[in-house]
Parts: sequence; structure tokens; C-alpha cells
Amino acid sequence: MANDVVNLTIDGMPVSVPPGTLLIEAAKQAGVLVPHYCYHPGLPVAGLCRMCLVQVEKAPKLQIACATPVAEGMVVDTQSEQAKSARMGVLELLLINHPLDCPICDQAGECELQDFTFQEGRPATRYSPDYAKRFNPVEDFGPDVLYVPNRCILCTRCVRFMEDVTKEPVLNVSERGDRAYIGIHPEARLDHPWAGNVVDLCPVGSLLSKDFLHKARAWELDKTASVCTGCSQGCNVTLDTRDNVVVRVRPRPNLDVNRYFICDHGRLNYRWMNRGDRIEAPLVKRAGAELQAVDWDEALARAATVLRGAGGRTVALASPKLSTEALFLTRELFAGLDWTGAVQIVMGEEAPLAGVPNLALRPERAPNGTAAQLLGYSRDYAAALKAAESAAVVLVLDEPEVTIRTAGALIYLGTVLPDGARDAEVVLPIANVAEEEGSFVNRDGRVQRYFQAKPAPGMARPAWWVLAELLTALGRGESLAGPDAAFDRLARSVGAFAGLSYASIGALGKPVNTAVPATA
Amino acid sequence: MAIGLKVMKRPGTQVSYLRATLKGMALTFSHLWRPKVTMQYPEEKSSKDWTLSPRWRGTHRMLTDEQGRAKCVACGLCPQICPANCIKLVPGEDEHGNRYPLIYEIDEFRCVFCGYCQEVCPEEAIHVGVHYENAEYSRDRFVYDLERLCAQTHPVSTLWDPSDPKGE
Repeated sequence: MANDVVNLTIDGMPVSVPPGTLLIEAAKQAGVLVPHYCYHPGLPVAGLCRMCLVQVEKAPKLQIACATPVAEGMVVDTQSEQAKSARMGVLELLLINHPLDCPICDQAGECELQDFTFQEGRPATRYSPDYAKRFNPVEDFGPDVLYVPNRCILCTRCVRFMEDVTKEPVLNVSERGDRAYIGIHPEARLDHPWAGNVVDLCPVGSLLSKDFLHKARAWELDKTASVCTGCSQGCNVTLDTRDNVVVRVRPRPNLDVNRYFICDHGRLNYRWMNRGDRIEAPLVKRAGAELQAVDWDEALARAATVLRGAGGRTVALASPKLSTEALFLTRELFAGLDWTGAVQIVMGEEAPLAGVPNLALRPERAPNGTAAQLLGYSRDYAAALKAAESAAVVLVLDEPEVTIRTAGALIYLGTVLPDGARDAEVVLPIANVAEEEGSFVNRDGRVQRYFQAKPAPGMARPAWWVLAELLTALGRGESLAGPDAAFDRLARSVGAFAGLSYASIGALGKPVNTAVPATA
Repeated sequence: MAIGLKVMKRPGTQVSYLRATLKGMALTFSHLWRPKVTMQYPEEKSSKDWTLSPRWRGTHRMLTDEQGRAKCVACGLCPQICPANCIKLVPGEDEHGNRYPLIYEIDEFRCVFCGYCQEVCPEEAIHVGVHYENAEYSRDRFVYDLERLCAQTHPVSTLWDPSDPKGE
């Protein structure tokens, strides 16, 4: 085992890391965040900002932590007087031309220049107050990216991202010295499907998202771990909410799925989470009348009556945006009946991220098609629609574009009430993905949890709760205490999920037991 | 135990109250020639002896630039610092693409006049005013919008300066 780890000391703390680890990563293990700008774990090392200078014992000069691999017996001091004064000097140079416009900068509050200047920068400038800082106008780089050259510290993370990760090198560093700025190819736009990542990568407020521009301040945001619903890749994301409104989606690092990136489709695919036209109370159809709002007990009793009287064929039309738990409980609801379950999956174009293997915006624009497949739902939506015409009971789960013609009774569980569902016997309001806890299974068969970011409107409840209560009303099973209990019930009865639980899945997901059947 | 009572004797016969009345009136009229300690408020609002402190914190005023536009850049620090949560701010862009408040409202009823908004403002835009006459005919007039805040003309508070605690 001796060759598998390298032992070194960082700030007096012994650390053991695999050989080849960079000093800056090893320092993180010792709980030390060495200030850095050009270094990013998802990008090739450039070593040009000189911000991560640290003192290594017996080395003649200060070393940059981001490009120095660890060595056995290394003794590193990140806080030595020499290292601190060198970093203070670097910060002073960076701040010469950096405008003092933090009050209007979207990055303020999550700005690495702000953070490290507060941490170890010089408290005041040595320039005269009359010094006119360099000024360049704001440039429009692409559909969602603005470039503010004044704030740029030329870390080149964006340049390296476009060059090495998207393999579409449209950015460079133009000019030299203090005139240098990030240039874009004169005939190109920053319109790569993954280009929005440069905004997240930018350590300062130089590259800005037009979508998020002036929308909220960083310190007003609540952050919730979630999973992107844009496609079957299942990228891990963070939902940023302000006053219970989702205002931004950012990537959440997961080395096994999306590394540090999400595509622009997923990044901008959040507005529907804030829809205002939601169903806020359970509705039932009274004889000869329109749908009327009732309480949960009455609505569930009515739905149970409809299901109990189901003699003959039953059809479940589910949205592939539903949680695995909800898809499973729907199947439970029809256990013992002649049922057909189907999901409708919208297809789009694939947009791969060239520099990262097995990462793309997938053509299947739904997060949970795999779970539906594992649970025995078919993808033949047209056939299911046809079967619904003659079915005794049709259960529709959150398909907003649904137009169902059926001779039987229609039960609709959904977030919004489409015209097609106005004929339903019972309408049960459910929470959307930002309002409940649950799990998705991505195309590689990885179960990943998402968390609740905001409250559900009115009386809407998570789908797992509604379905579990419905099962209880039918006398099959007990009420569930939470989504974890729903998942436990799933793990007990479906082999692919056996042995998994919310605790073992954690925030980064776990693969299911069986191989996922390949989809067309 | 008996309680000690002092029994006052009423005057047995009719007596004149004239002397006592004159004595009282003499005191009253003597006040006419004493120095005045009150101010004739609506007509007179400050005097040589008394003015409102320059550190007084009253209803707000938004300062404007040369073009008459609010200096506010909608940075969001005042609603953040406000302990009474009385500032509503929705940031947006003006016609030149600059950050600017689309909505800026202060609920003067909720305000506790702590002056933190003025202290925290990086643009020296929002100020608490040296001002106290706030009567209105309806309650909703106490939510000051941006236009009204800019239209205020009263002097603004100097607040307390820690480097000059006595205001010298």
C-alpha cells in the first residue's frame, strides 16, 4: 500500500492523498482553502493567476498550489508571512483596475475576488483617488452571456472551458499587459448548448447570465439540492430560490454524472416550477355540475370509490417528471387489476459536451423515463391512449397536454388543470418537483434524490402522499410518514431497488441493482 | 387602634374669598411678564434656543443626481439591513442598461427610524430626514414610493459619527 498514498503536512496537519494529487486539492483535505482564481477542478491547470502561492519547505521559491503535485514528506505552510504577502501583492495588482461596483454586480456575495480580498487582501489602495480605472464597455457574448471587461481578472477559466471542455474554442485572451481582455471570435457567438457554464466558472462578475441579471442578490437566495428535469441525463443541480420563487438553476458537482456542468437547456428549464395557475384544492365532479373544491377526505373517498368499482381494463398515463415513488405507488394502486401504464416522453436533439465522456443533453427530455421502464410502464403512449378509450378507469398523473377520450371514469392528479382533465371525476392537486422530496432514476440507472425547495401552493400535496392515502382508503397499506417511507416500500417490492434507502443514496445517488435496458 | 384624624374646622361665619382670589390672579398675571419657555409652533419652528438636531432621524428622502434621477442602484443592502423589514425593492434596468430600482417603497409606519438604511447605502442615496411633520388623510399615503422619496426636500440626517461622537 505504500505506493498508493503520499503523506505530507499542510499547515501542521498530516494529510494522506493519492500520488499525483495537486497541492491545492490536498490542502482542501486539511481543511485549508488556498485562494485561487485560474484553478478549477473541472478544467486543465493553467497556473497563471499566481494567487495560490504557498511556501513549501526546502523549495527555493514560493510554489503555486494548483500546479504542484504532492510529494512524500512535503511540509507546506499556506499561511507563512512570505506566502501571505505574495498573495496580498497579487490581489493588489488584480484590484488596480477592478471597479468598485459590487453594489450593482450580480456576483457580489458569491465573488471569489470579494472573498479572498476580505480574507487576506490589502485594506486600502495605494493608488491616488484620482486614478482613472481602465474602462471598456459591456459586450454581448451570446444568447445568455454578457461580458463585463472591467471586472475581468483574466483567469481564463472561460477560455479553457470553451477550448478543452466544449471543444469549440471561440474565446481567447486578446491584447497584452493591462489592456488584455477576453475576446470572442469576430464571427462567432457564445451559443454552444453548454456555454452557460462560463458564467458559473467566472470567479468574478465578469461573465453574467442575462437570465439572472439584476434578479436577486446572492445573499437572498436559499439553495436546495435537486436534480435537473431537462433530460434523462439527471444532472445534479442546485435550485436557488428567493421568497419561494425559483430564480436560478446552477450545477451541483457530481463527478459520476455531470462533473461541474449543466447545459443551457437545463439551466433555463425552471420557469414552469413557478407557475401561478396551479390547482390548489382537490376537486370532485358533483352530479350535473362542474368540478367543485372539496377537502382531501372527501376527494380521496370519491377516488377510492371510483377505483373500487373498476371492473375491467384500467389505464395509467403518467408523466416521466414524476418521482420514482409516485410511479411505484401508482402501480401499486392497480395491483391485481388489468392495467396498462404508459409514459409520454418528448424527444429532442442530443447536445453532447465533447470534453466530458458520457455527458450530454439527451434526446429524451424527461428525468425519470428509466424508472418508469423499470416499473413496467410502456413508452407506447399512443397505444395507451387508445386503450384508455375503452377503459373503465383512467388515471392521469400530471400530463398537462392530455386530451383523453374515455368511456370510463377519469381521475386526474396534477399540478395544473388542463382542459382535457375537466371531465375528470376527481382532480387531486400534487406538488411539482421543486415542492416535494423524491428520487429520479437517470438513463444510466442511477437513483438520485431531489429535495424540497419551496412550499406547495394551497392544499396541494406530494404525489407519493396522495397515492399512499388513496391506497389506505382502499384498505391496502398504511399511510406513509414521508418520501423515505415510500422509497422503502419500493425497495422492498422491486428488485432493482432492493437494499437501497434514502440514507444510502445520499445527495449524490447510487446505481440501481439491475442493468437498465437500453432505449432506442 | 384608632386612626389619627385631623378634623378641620369650617369657618363658622360667612367670609370673603376676595383676598384669596386676588392672590391667585396676581400669580397668574405675574407670568405674563416672565420669559417665555414655549414656542409658537406652527408659525415658529425653531428658535435661537432650540432647533431640531441635525442627527434627527425622520421620514426618508432619496437623493437624486444632476438629472433628477434617484441615486439608488438597487443593490439590495437597505432591505437586507432593515430591522423592521419596511423597504420593498425590486431591481431592474433603466433605459441605459444601468441597474435601477423598478420599485422602491418604504412603509413609514413600519419603519423604526434606526437610520441603518442611510448608514449602509453605498451610493449615499437613501437618507433619513430631519423632518417630523407627517400628517396625512389616509393610511396608504404612508407607503412612500420612489417618486415621493425623491420629491422630499427636507434636510437629511447627519447620523451619529463614531469618529466625532459629540458632533463637533
